[in-house]
Amino acid sequence: MKITIQNLTKTFPSRNKKEKKENKGGVTAVNDMCIEIPSGKLVGLLGPSGCGKSTTLFMLSGLEQPTSGKIFFDDQDVTTLAAERRGIGLVFQNYALYPHMTVEQNIMFPLVNMRIPKAEAQARALDTARLVQIEDLMARKPSELSGGQQQRVAIARALVKMPNVLLLDEPLSNLDARLRLQTREEIKRIQRETGITTVFVTHDQEEAMSICDTMVVMKLGVVQQIGAPQDIYDDPANLFVANFLGTPPINIFKGEIRKGKVYIGKEAVATTEIADQPVYVGIRPEGFIYDAKGALTLETDHIEVMGRDKSIVSRHESSTKPTIRSIVDSDVALPKGAAKLTFNVKPNKLFLFNAETEERLI
Amino acid sequence: MAKTKKTSVEPSEEKVTLEEAAIVAEEMPVTAADEVAEQPAAAEETAASFGDKVKAFGGKIKEFFVGVGVKTKDFFGNLFKKDKKTKEEKLGEMAVVAAASDGQIETVVATSLLESKLSAKEKFGRFCRSQSGWLFVLPAVILMAVFTFWPILSAFINAFKQNYSTLTGKYDGWGFENFIRVLKGDTGTGGATFIQCLVNTMVFTFISVPLSTLLALLISVALNSIKPLQKAYQTIYFLPYLTNSLAMGAVFATFFAVIGTTKNTENVGIVNQVLQGLGLLPNETFINWLGTSSPKWVISANLTIPWAKYIVVIIYEVWSGLPFKILILFSALQSVNKQYYDAAKIDGASKNTVLWKITTPMISPMISYLLVTGIMGGMKQYSAIVGLFGEQMGIDYDMGTMVGYIYRYIEDGHMGYAFAGSLILFAIIMIITAINRRISSKKVSY
Ligand SMILES: Nc1ncnc2c1ncn2[C@@H]1O[C@H](COP(=O)(O)OP(=O)(O)O)[C@@H](O)[C@H]1O
Ligand SMILES: [Mg+2]
Repeated sequence: MKITIQNLTKTFPSRNKKEKKENKGGVTAVNDMCIEIPSGKLVGLLGPSGCGKSTTLFMLSGLEQPTSGKIFFDDQDVTTLAAERRGIGLVFQNYALYPHMTVEQNIMFPLVNMRIPKAEAQARALDTARLVQIEDLMARKPSELSGGQQQRVAIARALVKMPNVLLLDEPLSNLDARLRLQTREEIKRIQRETGITTVFVTHDQEEAMSICDTMVVMKLGVVQQIGAPQDIYDDPANLFVANFLGTPPINIFKGEIRKGKVYIGKEAVATTEIADQPVYVGIRPEGFIYDAKGALTLETDHIEVMGRDKSIVSRHESSTKPTIRSIVDSDVALPKGAAKLTFNVKPNKLFLFNAETEERLI
Repeated sequence: MAKTKKTSVEPSEEKVTLEEAAIVAEEMPVTAADEVAEQPAAAEETAASFGDKVKAFGGKIKEFFVGVGVKTKDFFGNLFKKDKKTKEEKLGEMAVVAAASDGQIETVVATSLLESKLSAKEKFGRFCRSQSGWLFVLPAVILMAVFTFWPILSAFINAFKQNYSTLTGKYDGWGFENFIRVLKGDTGTGGATFIQCLVNTMVFTFISVPLSTLLALLISVALNSIKPLQKAYQTIYFLPYLTNSLAMGAVFATFFAVIGTTKNTENVGIVNQVLQGLGLLPNETFINWLGTSSPKWVISANLTIPWAKYIVVIIYEVWSGLPFKILILFSALQSVNKQYYDAAKIDGASKNTVLWKITTPMISPMISYLLVTGIMGGMKQYSAIVGLFGEQMGIDYDMGTMVGYIYRYIEDGHMGYAFAGSLILFAIIMIITAINRRISSKKVSY
């Protein structure tokens, strides 16, 4: 099922009564959001905590009413439709499994409410449990399950009614690192097997990049960029997006364009046709090429060797962060104990941003 | 010399309790052996200069270990029945080893300090500290013993004395006669029988407690779902809780009254008027809710069911039980995570399903608490009936409760019946509580 979100806005009114009367001082959690989610795709909502991801998801589910804007499932306007009539499955951030019911009762609960006969409901619950591989745990209570198992139960409960849309709110945030890796593959597999249009909320860019077909990057309720993960990584729309994606994160320098050249400090690192102005220069860690006569000089702090590649931690007075990380192949021979190293910069790994608007220039 | 000093300064030993001392002592052989292995030269040297003292200490230590053993046995014997023997054996062994071996001065000095430094006063202090828990509960224990345990015990004994007189302390012998007479209704004093009072109490309790809990649940769920005036309603519902039960009984008595002179020499209370107004009663007829001619079913010589009065009592009990139950359930509801309701909405649960399948199980521990305490309280009901029906609890105690029954026989000096009645009540409450626990442990936990 295709989802269309048009000019969706959600403002939470202020607690202060006077401000509330004057319609001021509220929090705009989602601001004028427009997205189209194609049928059968896995879309990630990505952004830092508090940027309105959950609010968006709850509006899609019908638990929250938008202040303005519209939501369509295919061609049907569902903006004011009650949650239970939208045919969606929702996995809550902390799962919200009913503690007094067994796993089986939890999974069957949506079916019981649809008045599906018990035998059929049990069969469907078992099928869904098999899909998420918890068929052995059916008789247990949620408190007797591990975090990962609870999460699977929550997914099974959302999937059992064969929803048109599956909504997942940070489903991996309660799991440990290893389980998180494993489970995100699982979610991808389940999504592919069922072909259900899925919206996946996360604040973890790596997680979003690894499983999403399309990614929506948000900041303070405003959509920053929509696209395939690799496209957004290679071609960020602004400084925020460039900063948010990638581990280790991008290196940002205060720089300047003068007469067709990009300067960091006194060194010209690239050429450009953009008019003279102060800029932010972003260079991805993998965008540095070691060269004894390179254009950019960095003060070396230390070097971490990590098998496949070397990570050089260094400093520069124009950097906006305390340290700069550059990653080079482990074969690259670096002079031992050098206080300074010089680099050339790969043009496709270098981005320029307007110093004021922080919008991407090139 | 230096070595001795070092060990003797260890201040921590001062605070070791007897139990710890035993444990420390238990661990000693290992330490001692290690010391010897590590510094044989040093040990030998010290041994030479302290050889005599060691032997003197040896005797003392043996005494000490035995002493500790005995004390440990006394204080912890029952608690540590399993290890007791091994512990003593080890202690004994150690004493011998320590005394015989010249090389283990460290052990000797260290352990002997435990004993030799302690005066009798200190030992007493140590005992008090280790047993100080008892001191804290002592006042409560004494009060309980005087005002709870002793009366229970006394009732238990005196219930079996025939024709016991509290004034003279005389009685005609032992036996079950009190119990037999109470249960047979053969007390020779007239008025309602024990069976009558038992049935009354049971009916009042087992109808009004579940009913008021159910009503409280519905009201608090409703209260929880409204926003405006929530606080105001909360206050209104809580008001009866602050009202004296005798005063409430009097008010109820007027509501249901048929006293006075208008119709058939009787005055019509508000309840009868409302029933008339609604057409539920035929013209000119009134139910005599509380009076002497109140309608009743006669079951047997020992048992009647004055149903009209029962209805009044049950309405009264439900109403007066509501505030506390609403208070408890309302706060229980507020602590239920809202996310479950969101999840239920997504799962398409109807309001009814949410109430019975989500809300009620979530607050079931509180519901169970209310039922258990409500039933126990109901079994001890007294003042409300007096408020409604006067000191005689209806006509000659026909609305009497079990406590009322007991009190009546205390009043008129038939202590034996009162004791027997209270023991039967005690047994009934025990049985009901046991059943409650069985049920709630099955139904409530999650
Ligand atoms: N019920 C609410 N009332 C007021 N403000 C809210 C409410 N829910 C969320 N917000 C605010 O809306 C913003 C977005 O919240 P949310 O969507 O939960 O963020 P996240 O992206 O972390 O999921 C936050 O600033 C939050 O404080
Ligand atoms: Mg969130």
